[in-house]
Amino acid sequence: MLPQEQDRFLPIVNVSHIMKKVMPANAKILKYFINFITGEASNKCQREKRKTINGDDLLWVMTTLGFEDYVEPLKGYL
Amino acid sequence: MDKSEQTQQQHQHGMGVATGASQMAYSSHYPTAPMVASGTPAVAVPSPTQAPAAFSSSAHQLAYQQAQHFHHQQQQHQQQQLQMFWSNQMQEIEQTIDFKNHSLPLARIKKIMKADEDVRMISAEAPVIFAKACEMFILELTLRSWIHTEENKRRTLQKNDIAAAISRNDVFDFLVDIIPRDELKEEGLGITKATIPLVNSPADMPYYYVPPQHPVVGPPGMIMGKPVGAEQATLYSTQQPRPPMAFMPWPHTQPQQQQPPQHQQTDS
Repeated sequence: MLPQEQDRFLPIVNVSHIMKKVMPANAKILKYFINFITGEASNKCQREKRKTINGDDLLWVMTTLGFEDYVEPLKGYL
Repeated sequence: MDKSEQTQQQHQHGMGVATGASQMAYSSHYPTAPMVASGTPAVAVPSPTQAPAAFSSSAHQLAYQQAQHFHHQQQQHQQQQLQMFWSNQMQEIEQTIDFKNHSLPLARIKKIMKADEDVRMISAEAPVIFAKACEMFILELTLRSWIHTEENKRRTLQKNDIAAAISRNDVFDFLVDIIPRDELKEEGLGITKATIPLVNSPADMPYYYVPPQHPVVGPPGMIMGKPVGAEQATLYSTQQPRPPMAFMPWPHTQPQQQQPPQHQQTDS
């Protein structure tokens, strides 16, 4: 009898446990990243007297804050 | 006396403004490192022929040259890795057809964005862009951490590798607060801007107690609610009230014993 597909891999729980040892603040880092970009985008919208944060605001902020390498790939999502 | 000597003397005396010439001289003495595509400053590596004078023997010179060459190669390899990473990201997005499936939940991203009180409305494309940006952010941080792992000739990514990746790149400065202190100390970054004490700050000075002075309350002629005579009224009216000071900073210099001020009696 052929082994099931999932039996050929290591258990996900164990893998994630190892990963958490290495990078426990992974989710926290992402939260900081989102808050950091969103805060600046929000300031931009307030200066321009707009209420909605759009994709262009995020890309502009990323360029301003030094994440300019992200902008070209992300333009495909607009 | 030429201009440079004049400006130097002015700076020594604590006066004068730096002229354009002195600014030019300053900038020429301290060249800035060129910025590369990845956002990290490229470290200027001295050429292998510029060995220090301390290495007199040829064997030492050879070892120094080899070390410099290896370091230069390692840096080039790192830059190539990062450039390949970004070109791969670009190709991956160009080949993407389905933009609806994301590796991170959009609702959670929107929730984190809404945590900011100033954020009112969010367009539909914003969480989608954030989902991909976060994915790329994790990949970049992991790659930079892995570079540090390889530098230390290890095959296991550790916490201090992530701390090193964050500390090496100025773009990741906003993450310094969430990296444990001991990890930063291992990277030689135990002292941060926040922990450096201010020079001559009030916290540095010890305090000694000064008994509060009793200022004159009410109009002259009224002491503790009782009317007084004309002589006493004039006596109390001439006294100047001092502002009450509860604590005084302890002087760092040795205090000299001051003579009590002698009141000059004016004969009118």
